[in-house]
Amino acid sequence: MLPSYLTMAAILFCIGLYGALVKRNAVVVLLSVELMLNAVNLNLIVFSKYGVAPSLTGQVFSLFTITVAAAEAAVGVAILIALFRAKGTVNVDEYDEMRR
Amino acid sequence: MYEGVSFLPLTWPDMLYMAPELFLAAVFLLLVVADLLLPQKVSRLSIGWMTVAGLLGAAGFVVYRLIDLQGSGREVGQVIELLGASYVVDQFANLLKLVFLAGTALVALMALGSVKQDKDITDRAELFYLLLPAAIGAMIMASSGNLVTLYIGLELLSITSYVLVALRRRSSKSAEAAFKYVVIGGISSAFILFGMSYLYGLTGSVDLGDFRTALPEVMTSYPALMYAGFFFLIAGFAIKIAAAPFHAWAPDVYQGAPTPVSAFLAVVSKGAALAAVLRILYNSAFFISGGGGGGVKPVGNDVYLALLVLAAAAMLAGTTAALRQRQMKRLLALSGVANAGYLLVPIGLNFTTVHSSNVSEFIFYLIVYLLMTIGAFAVLTVISQAAGHEELKGFSGLYYRAPWTSAAMVVFILSLAGLPVSGGFFAKLFILMGAASAKAYWLVAIMVISSVISYYFYFAIVRQMFMRSSSEEESEIRVSAPTGIVIWLCAGATVALGLMPGLLMDWIQAIFTIRGDLLIGLG
Repeated sequence: MLPSYLTMAAILFCIGLYGALVKRNAVVVLLSVELMLNAVNLNLIVFSKYGVAPSLTGQVFSLFTITVAAAEAAVGVAILIALFRAKGTVNVDEYDEMRR
Repeated sequence: MYEGVSFLPLTWPDMLYMAPELFLAAVFLLLVVADLLLPQKVSRLSIGWMTVAGLLGAAGFVVYRLIDLQGSGREVGQVIELLGASYVVDQFANLLKLVFLAGTALVALMALGSVKQDKDITDRAELFYLLLPAAIGAMIMASSGNLVTLYIGLELLSITSYVLVALRRRSSKSAEAAFKYVVIGGISSAFILFGMSYLYGLTGSVDLGDFRTALPEVMTSYPALMYAGFFFLIAGFAIKIAAAPFHAWAPDVYQGAPTPVSAFLAVVSKGAALAAVLRILYNSAFFISGGGGGGVKPVGNDVYLALLVLAAAAMLAGTTAALRQRQMKRLLALSGVANAGYLLVPIGLNFTTVHSSNVSEFIFYLIVYLLMTIGAFAVLTVISQAAGHEELKGFSGLYYRAPWTSAAMVVFILSLAGLPVSGGFFAKLFILMGAASAKAYWLVAIMVISSVISYYFYFAIVRQMFMRSSSEEESEIRVSAPTGIVIWLCAGATVALGLMPGLLMDWIQAIFTIRGDLLIGLG
């Protein structure tokens, strides 16, 4: 069971990374980052049941990451709202004021 | 199937060991409430002074613990471990906490001196009191003996810095920088966690102390997972410390953030992430490195090699990218990338019998880096106020308008470039000699080459300062008292470290032992 779950988590992580790097919509970029963090949660829970040395620690760790990811998303969305008010767009291609 | 996990609650004596963090947290809550309750007409600068006082108070607690640990005549390996060794108070943690607290206090002072000129900041109090949870996060990272504690400290630092970067609320650049920082920070957290999850899966534990025995056992059976775990971890932290090729966010974020926050990111954020890398790797990869018996290639050797390659890339990429940079904040960000490379060198050179002073070299360089970088940013706040922009040409004719400030800036530039009579010279020399004694000659060559390249853009600043400007009127530039304190503290300490580097180096080596103060659970 372990390899299939790990592959699943790795695929989720890659989809998240692809979305964060490629997507044009800022909300989708934030969503993709959350997807990467959820791939981590899947990994932790799988290891806590099928790992080399199974233990409860992985599940506790995943509770921590879920909570912290929620806090991070809250700050991220708040900053995105501030940015949207300043620029009037969620297209990340237009966030290029500092490029030289 | 699960073995019983014993939970050890926090006891009153434990609270005493955590006094610096708890004190800072109390000051933070007090200041949040004070900001809400104080009438509008009371200047928010008073909150800034209370922030500085709180940071100095916490530093007092750390110094007390440091002297207490040193004077107790403890056995080697006897350390203070709280909550089942998830939080350790040892000399490595104490030294770094002092560095972080001093850095944050200098940043708060710099903010006190420059916040009035920045019309984009609407809530001045937030700029001060939000530095406190960020400092607590950095302190937790330095003290963590467990991956969960480390992650919590990292996120406390990161999430607070996202808000700090976004504080120039009337500037769209600030919001843009903050958004970029959130996305990159989130990706780096995901990378770090992904690596941590593999390490947990291999060992069944998140305690750094357990990795020492568990990792060598599984090294031969699951090398691929172990490589993946360590490399994800290193990539994630490389983003946090802005080491090339993961540094592209740094110039943008530093440019958009308020200048004191840029200095905070450059010094405290970077230092905390480097301290975490050092602590994790020497408690895990160190024990699966070395000669390797029975035809097995130790995974740890490649992990350290990856760090050295990262260091070399950061030094070269940082200095070459800075060559054509004319915006001072972006230039200082890129100089920070190069300095991250220098700081990675003692971490990446493993402990060997001929070279075991890695950690003292690292801490010495971090202290010098703190002084020169915060000093340069403080001078920049003065210049950008006078010139109204942050371009390099704002420095033109500075010598004729503010001779003393330009003298201090020359000291910082000498130190950044690594020339004698400055702390930067000896910091680089110690690391260079360490690399030479570990026989990493290719790295020595890259360090020297990148230093030489960096002279070009550092001395472009000096040339600007002594060039008489014809366009602008040559009125004297006034330096506000808190900024003046920061500039002269940093310049004085930089020169003092350049004259007597042995004092600090010997002191660090006297109170620090690798076995007792870095490795966890050897007691």
